Amino acid sequence: MQTKFSPAQLADPHIETANGILRACVHCGFCTATCPSYVLLGDELDSPRGRIYLIKDMLENERPASAKLVKHVDRCLSCLSCMTTCPSGVHYMHLVDHARTRIAETYVRPWPERLLRALLAVVLPRPSLFRLALVGARLARPFKGLFPGRLKGLVAMAPASVPGPSALDRPQVFPAQGVPQRRVALLTGCAQRVLRPAINEATVRLLTRLGCEVVVAEGVGCCAALVHHMGREAETDAQVKANIAAFERVMEGGALDAIVVNASGCGTMVKDYGHVLRTEVAWAERARRVAALARDVSEVLVELDLGTLVTPDKPGIDGEPPVVAYHSACSLRHGQKITKEPKRLLADAGFEVREPAEAHLCCGSAGTYNLLQPELASALGARKADRLAATGAQVIATGNIGCLAQMTGAVGIPVVHTVELLDWAMGGPRPPELG
Amino acid sequence: MTETLRPETPEQLREAVAWATSADTPLEVAAAGTKRVFGRPCQTSHRLDLSGLAGVTDYEPAELVMGVGAATPLAEIEAALAANNQQLAFEPPDFGPLLGAAAGAGTIGGAIACNLAGPRRVKAGAARDHIIGFHAVSGRGEDFKSGGRVVKNVTGFDLSKLMAGSFGTLAVMADVNLKVMPAPERTRTVLVYGAEDGAAVKALAQALGSAFDVSGAAHLPAEVAAGSGVDYVAGAGRPVTAVRIEGTGASVEYRCQAIRENLAEFGDTEELHSSNSVTLWSEVAGAAYFTAEAETQVWRVSATPGAGPRLAAEVRAETGGRAYYDWGGGLVWLALPPRPDAAHEVVRGALAAAGGGHATLLRAAESVRAAFPVFEPQGEALKALSARIKDAFDPKRVLNPGRMYAGV
Amino acid sequence: MRMPEPDAAVLARRGDIIEQLRAIVPGEGVIVDEDELRAYECDGLTAYRQLPMVVVLPETTEQISRVLRYCHETGVKIVPRGAGTSLSGGALPVADAITLGLGKFKRILEIDYENRSAVVQPGVTNLAITEAVEHQGFYYAPDPSSQIACTIGGNVAENSGGVHSLKYGLTTNNVLGVEVVLMTGEVLRLGGKHLDSGGYDLLGVITGSEGLLGVITEVTVRILQKPETARAFLIGFPSNESAGDCVAAIIAAGIIPAGVEMMDKPAIHAVEDFVHAGYPRDVEALLIVELDGPEAEVADLIARVQAIAEETGAVTIRISQSEDERLVFWAGRKAAFPAVGRISPDYYCMDGTIPRRALATVLKRMAAMSSHYSLRVANVFHAGDGNLHPLVLYDANEPGELERAEAFGADILKLCVEVGGVLTGEHGVGVEKRDLMGVMFTEDDLKHQQRLKCAFDPDGLLNPGKVYPTLHRCAELGRLHVSGGQTRFPDLPRF
Repeated sequence: MQTKFSPAQLADPHIETANGILRACVHCGFCTATCPSYVLLGDELDSPRGRIYLIKDMLENERPASAKLVKHVDRCLSCLSCMTTCPSGVHYMHLVDHARTRIAETYVRPWPERLLRALLAVVLPRPSLFRLALVGARLARPFKGLFPGRLKGLVAMAPASVPGPSALDRPQVFPAQGVPQRRVALLTGCAQRVLRPAINEATVRLLTRLGCEVVVAEGVGCCAALVHHMGREAETDAQVKANIAAFERVMEGGALDAIVVNASGCGTMVKDYGHVLRTEVAWAERARRVAALARDVSEVLVELDLGTLVTPDKPGIDGEPPVVAYHSACSLRHGQKITKEPKRLLADAGFEVREPAEAHLCCGSAGTYNLLQPELASALGARKADRLAATGAQVIATGNIGCLAQMTGAVGIPVVHTVELLDWAMGGPRPPELG
Repeated sequence: MTETLRPETPEQLREAVAWATSADTPLEVAAAGTKRVFGRPCQTSHRLDLSGLAGVTDYEPAELVMGVGAATPLAEIEAALAANNQQLAFEPPDFGPLLGAAAGAGTIGGAIACNLAGPRRVKAGAARDHIIGFHAVSGRGEDFKSGGRVVKNVTGFDLSKLMAGSFGTLAVMADVNLKVMPAPERTRTVLVYGAEDGAAVKALAQALGSAFDVSGAAHLPAEVAAGSGVDYVAGAGRPVTAVRIEGTGASVEYRCQAIRENLAEFGDTEELHSSNSVTLWSEVAGAAYFTAEAETQVWRVSATPGAGPRLAAEVRAETGGRAYYDWGGGLVWLALPPRPDAAHEVVRGALAAAGGGHATLLRAAESVRAAFPVFEPQGEALKALSARIKDAFDPKRVLNPGRMYAGV
Repeated sequence: MRMPEPDAAVLARRGDIIEQLRAIVPGEGVIVDEDELRAYECDGLTAYRQLPMVVVLPETTEQISRVLRYCHETGVKIVPRGAGTSLSGGALPVADAITLGLGKFKRILEIDYENRSAVVQPGVTNLAITEAVEHQGFYYAPDPSSQIACTIGGNVAENSGGVHSLKYGLTTNNVLGVEVVLMTGEVLRLGGKHLDSGGYDLLGVITGSEGLLGVITEVTVRILQKPETARAFLIGFPSNESAGDCVAAIIAAGIIPAGVEMMDKPAIHAVEDFVHAGYPRDVEALLIVELDGPEAEVADLIARVQAIAEETGAVTIRISQSEDERLVFWAGRKAAFPAVGRISPDYYCMDGTIPRRALATVLKRMAAMSSHYSLRVANVFHAGDGNLHPLVLYDANEPGELERAEAFGADILKLCVEVGGVLTGEHGVGVEKRDLMGVMFTEDDLKHQQRLKCAFDPDGLLNPGKVYPTLHRCAELGRLHVSGGQTRFPDLPRF
């Protein structure tokens, strides 16, 4: 596609990157078809192609973000379905991330919006604050009618019970069982360990059982996806750098085979650290090294021999092997292009795996999207719930905490993390959600 | 007395129409004249006889394209194609005998003007789907062309579609380019005996909805089947449901077997080989069962396939007569005892109740065709649009005026 | 590209027009800000761009009818738009026109397996129809390469083809009925679940009319049961000529494959880089030949095609061994155009059809043109029906390259007509090929086509500036000019 940047504009590495992305786009429109917001709204402006156009216009003319542009970019879930569909290789993710930074820099949001975003940016990445907020929200539930706008949604989504902190959250090393085969670091995440500590626990049991030494590193916090997707560049850089430094300390303690991520939204982010810091000479190479180590837990598990460890008396619901609907998180499917591994692992572990129709379409969770765009998110959630229910499955497995939270309750079937089922099949506890 | 103009070149054709336009003289457009009684009668003092514009001019088997003069006899075209193992896939039916004319005399121009299609319509389309280009003279006395000589073409409006089924009311074609297809190596027909209309159409739906590439799907109630020239059909003494399978040898055998198994629940099955198949489907195409009883009024009703039997039952309850089905139930042939109004309200009422479609009074006395709509009456907007189209091509109303609708 | 001069009086009424539209279509359905309109300035053909006056996204047929009636009464032009994937600029906005988007018409209204049909809204994508019926083994046959995104309404407007059209036909052969809103706001239903309605075949005329005759608001399509098996060949050739010979020999043998596609070397490479379909990189031309039907038939045809391929000089032959593999073979072809975006920032896609026998000649002359214009060309064809898609590669950021690409493209299309072919096989004329219509048609040919337009839209308000290079006024077109009718010409045989 034709672009109109001046040489001076192109001297800015961010513009240069954006220009490269824009030029790859041939405006074929294939991306519109698989974009959840376009599927719902049918407006070019709410499609990737339309947003690319809006962004191009803003960047070329060095205009501050307009309210209209912000509206349409805000409606993007960053599910990256468009990147799977795009035959021309347009790196939409980097373009929209850049646009979000520009929005944060040049657009003043109305104050309730600013407040909400600041609140989320502060609370969600900090487990202790988040837990406190959830307890507060749970207490506030009877009064949710009193809360304005989207805070109401926030209060409503607080789980009925908030699990306490897990012993696993503390920095420590879990030794491998049997002969150590790998040394991995586990990104324990932020929101996930508050909402469902069982996921990290199951991950550690699985990995150690399969011969991995698992390090929960000192100083690793939120992956930064949260603030990154809100365009908060400074906070993003700070969190990313802190994590890189923390992982480097683990590497100093011995060869590290992988940084295991069991929330795919975080995985997509960590794998992109190299891009985030590409312009900072002191950090670029370090960021690339860390990013290259990041692996989704399913990628690591398929390389380990799961089969031998599956218990002879396979897990069952009412004595039958459970039918699992695999809900592929967008960050895994589109962000990391991991589609087969989790299904293979589940099948190997003795589950019958089904996939819903429209598996490529986002469930509406998308990080903080369900809080910031509740209407679109709940429309997508309902649509996904229908498709999942239609599979006739007894349990839904997914690889991302956001989807798990979004689907729990929306569909009348228990939703668990893939590793929880795998752990169960290998002798771990039956996920309590299954009753 | 009617005067006949018989142009022998496209230029003469243009001159003839131009004269008619300038002289305000309506023309009856015809070639072999085998379907002169199809449509509303038109009052003209002059006849434009196209039979001089005949002949296969440009046939390229490898390109699947044939160019012919508009009045080329279908028989000549089919012979030329057969020599190259090709065919007109839309299987133009011969209405000659049914309409009191000679058999085997029809021309390609007539088949296109009436947009005819035989039993293979369900698979291969109608005449409209096989004309890829033409030269014509419009009622303005001007030459024009549309389309081309390649099978895939969307350049400009698809006026070929407009010509097909326009009964010569817009323009007179001088020549046409046809899309032709390879002829099947083998043809067989699976017969199912004993199914009543409703069940039979369900059986046909099952066959057409299968992966077995059915190229004909007809049902003959017992009293119609009795009139067939095929022993297996005439001698059945029961209703006969027929499914045609065409293609390469092994494939045809396999699919016939599969269809027989598939339809066994509807009755005993039998299989017709080549020559019997050809006879049966040409009967079905040309309503041969209704030829003999020349006094009956014949309706050709295009409807939602599944609704065919109900429609026929409703009409016959009122009028008596006989019916059979082609196109998987979607083409209902009715031969009704003659009535001054051709029972047009009964037929069209039943059609409307069956979800709509198109009922054509194919055979009736001239006075009946003049007094009652031969073709499905149009709503106001459609009627006005049709008149505007007529205006666009034939503003003086010199070409087959009133043949389809009064004023068009 | 010259577009009709905007009507200053209409532009001056813009505020009022917006107000009227808002009264008909509530909420976000009326788009007026310049930065938002920008996203609608072109479709899949980016070479031509124009900001629309307003964009309106109605949600019901009734709203469309009201919008059209309003425009008809007040002389405002309308450009209908589906998914905006046209490669001929069919949905290119007009400065003083409303762009009417059908993006919100996304519902599948009815699936009727017994009558092998589906009724859908025009904004449903081509692929979504197949997806809705495939659990019962059915599919919708026409499959343009953009089928993931292009809508059925757009398919009807353009009479879209696809890779399987040789055997299964174009859109026009697979549509049973439409609901269409005329410029007057009148709503017509043409066809239905039955075949061949009488009267003028307006369904056939609307199909492929490129949005010039009416706005399609509902479509009834024919659905078919999927063949029992389908297998695809990848056949590599050392030259384009030998690949062309192979196609001719297959057809001559009486075989109509489900699809016959051809790609030349640059196209093969671009696609292989994206799809990794296992296309051979060292051949000059690649054929994808798909055969479908019952197992027994396909096995027989495979043997025959393989023999023909060997006789005509194939250097590599691969046959799909599984459904997944077959789909991978096709995935490359279907993504071919945008994949070219990986080897060139811009491309200009041609769509001429030629008689197959002229293939070698045309390719040779195209190669010569390529060096004349110093622009690369990647070729993707529907070889079975002679429909070429030369992709002229250019860089719009380089001054003069677009103009060179346009001239190159025009030369290719003139060549297609010269050898007995046509300007467009499936993409439509749009604005892109508009000014070349005179190469193929005489003034009288074009006038007759435009008279049809006049019957539908006498004021020329629907999708103006498309398809026809000069728009005659309908009053002028309607006038009768008869020549030579006074004397009774002596040489005409009469009786």
